[in-house]
Amino acid sequence: MLTNNNSNKMFFLFILFFSTLISISSNSWFGCWIGLEINLLSFIPLISNSKNLLSVETSLKYFLTQSLASINFLFMILIKFSLLKNFDMNNIISIMMNSSLLMKMGSAPFHFWFPNIVEGLSWMNNFMLMTWQKISPMILLSYYFNKNFLIFMIIMNLIIGSLGGLNQTSLRKLLAFSSINNLGWMIFSIMISENLWLFYFLIYSMMIFMMISLFFLMNMYFMNQLFINNMNFFIKLNLLINFLSLGGLPPFMGFMPKWIIINFLLINKFYFLTFIFMMTSLIIIYYYIRIIYSSFMFNYFKMKWVNLLMKNNMSLINLSSFISISSMILSTFIFM
Amino acid sequence: MMKFLFMMIFMIPLCFMKNMFWLVQMMLFFMMFLFMNLNLNIMCFFNMSYMFYCDIISFGLILLSIWICSLMIMASESLFKLNFYFNFFLFNVIFLLIMLYLTFSVLNLLLFYFFFEASLIPTLLLIIGWGYQPERIQAGMYLLFYTLFGSLPLLMGIIYIFNDLNTMTIYFLKFFNMNMYLLYISMIFAFLVKMPMYFVHLWLPKAHVEAPVSGSMILAGIMLKLGGYGLLRVMIFLQEVNLKLNYIWIIISLVGGLFISMKCFCQVDMKSLIAYSSVAHMSMVIGGIMVMNYWGFIGSYILMISHGLCSSGMFCLANINYERLHSRSLYINSGMMNFMPSMSLWWFLLLSSNMAAPPSLNLLGEISLINSLVSWSNISMILLMMISFFSAGYSLYLYSYIQHGKYFQGLYSFYVGSSREYLLLFLHWFPLNMMILKVDFISIWF
Repeated sequence: MLTNNNSNKMFFLFILFFSTLISISSNSWFGCWIGLEINLLSFIPLISNSKNLLSVETSLKYFLTQSLASINFLFMILIKFSLLKNFDMNNIISIMMNSSLLMKMGSAPFHFWFPNIVEGLSWMNNFMLMTWQKISPMILLSYYFNKNFLIFMIIMNLIIGSLGGLNQTSLRKLLAFSSINNLGWMIFSIMISENLWLFYFLIYSMMIFMMISLFFLMNMYFMNQLFINNMNFFIKLNLLINFLSLGGLPPFMGFMPKWIIINFLLINKFYFLTFIFMMTSLIIIYYYIRIIYSSFMFNYFKMKWVNLLMKNNMSLINLSSFISISSMILSTFIFM
Repeated sequence: MMKFLFMMIFMIPLCFMKNMFWLVQMMLFFMMFLFMNLNLNIMCFFNMSYMFYCDIISFGLILLSIWICSLMIMASESLFKLNFYFNFFLFNVIFLLIMLYLTFSVLNLLLFYFFFEASLIPTLLLIIGWGYQPERIQAGMYLLFYTLFGSLPLLMGIIYIFNDLNTMTIYFLKFFNMNMYLLYISMIFAFLVKMPMYFVHLWLPKAHVEAPVSGSMILAGIMLKLGGYGLLRVMIFLQEVNLKLNYIWIIISLVGGLFISMKCFCQVDMKSLIAYSSVAHMSMVIGGIMVMNYWGFIGSYILMISHGLCSSGMFCLANINYERLHSRSLYINSGMMNFMPSMSLWWFLLLSSNMAAPPSLNLLGEISLINSLVSWSNISMILLMMISFFSAGYSLYLYSYIQHGKYFQGLYSFYVGSSREYLLLFLHWFPLNMMILKVDFISIWF
């Protein structure tokens, strides 16, 4: 790939979308594995940029971890076909298959590659990694999961996602740890029903999209950059609303998926697990609020020579703020 | 009921127009008078519609919240004069009022939780956005996290109740009896943190001191009462467990109230003293609700309303001094009677109400609470005696320190007191000392 222009990206993006569809709609486990491999193959050209050493190293690391997980997945599928041939969902093979899929997603305890790689990617590539790349492992997980193992993994996800982000200053790593935490919520929701997972996933990816597009337009990668530029008042408000929404505080949109998942948790009598869900989300709100200090305080030390050229994109920002605030009320018009 | 909600929603565009600062405040007064004319039926829920209702408790607290919100705008004239984001400030106040109104008037327990939490966000914005010192960040953190830590188990409890009883309408909860200890603790812990009870009260001095005057007014005026209102609603189906466990909360809050009253004597910051006195008053309110007799409920309700007016008025007074001398310290604010004798009248009236001197509503509240707590146990006489005595003590201490004595030599000139400030204090004091004349309106529930 000599140049990294848009037509190349469009080609690989197309194959990326198709690979996920192949993976989730196949009749046999081989088709799933093929979809995962094509996913990997088409994502690598999207993220590697031969002019940038960090980008090359990141794509190599991504390739190594994902291919390891894919090979593991293939091996477990073959063992299941040839040796075991059972339909029981509570045995060692389901644990191994779930582990390989969890490694694909970047969930704990196989998460160590995830913040590392997220640090090396640009914002839009991060968006693809955090949202689209999770779809096919999640749905494959729902086909054959081991409940006890996954509950243990959910707890690890929540704790690692919340405690890991406490010492970070890079915005990408913070969103990576928050993504690990939200993976915990999503794995639980996929154990309940696929519709529930779809609901959570759509709202989560919409919130992540608003956040990432805001950071992308402002070209911000680190926390100290939030304080040294002249943010417009509406941009500050949008940042505030988006982060509080992602943390799950009422009255914003992000409260609704968390509320519904807590409802299902309590219906199924997972009382202690609900407590862990809530307390880790408190820790997450703590480091989100650290990020949005700059938008709480109206007057802080601003540099005059840093200007944000965002005049053309204000309508998207205003629309996203409006959706975040009013979606709880608007949703009653849809669901009633 | 819905007409008030729409009136408030349509005041929002008014906040962003030019020169509409005083118009918004006038519209809030207007809404107050409209709301007072609702047909009131004391013994049951009235004005029920799809999701709204009004009870005697909700009615009084909604009136209090509209009153305090309109007085908040009156107190924040300096924001308007200095042009410090007053449009967004007005939006914040009206958004907070909408959330508080909805908290007190929805029928559904989960929606109550939703608006209970949602009222935290504008308060946080008020403290961190318009506060004065760098410590306000830590104060906002403490406020948010103490309250969230308490209220997330409340969400769990509410959803558990829904799964068990298949209803969340507050009216229907009186037919049930949930006899579970863990549910009891998870439901009331949120309100105890919000009230605040003694061991979980650390957020209150920080938040009250670092907030601007409007933030302090709304925190002392209404946000603490959200906890009391929640406790009053939730006790209906938790009575049996409460009878077994209430002694814990009563003892913690009464002994804590004693310690806090003694701590008030050590404070140097005026606002900090008023904040600690809020905790002491609220400790008696918690005691009254937990005892669960009729006098207890009456006393706590009256003390909630009167404390809201009184503390809010005292924060206004502290701000009046702060705007002139730019300090809240007692060392600097002394001998004010030499310069602002009319203001010392207001200091005296509000502080005498704080110490529950007749003829204020605080007196009736404290007498009812003393009755109810002593009828529960004779030993609480000692604690109540000490709390009432010390509340008189620190109120007099504050008054005497600020007004009497030699004034600070480093003062520059300031004017005595504008009519706006006198009106603000009058509107705080008038319901407090005049409602004692028609108190059966709020204290006879059947």
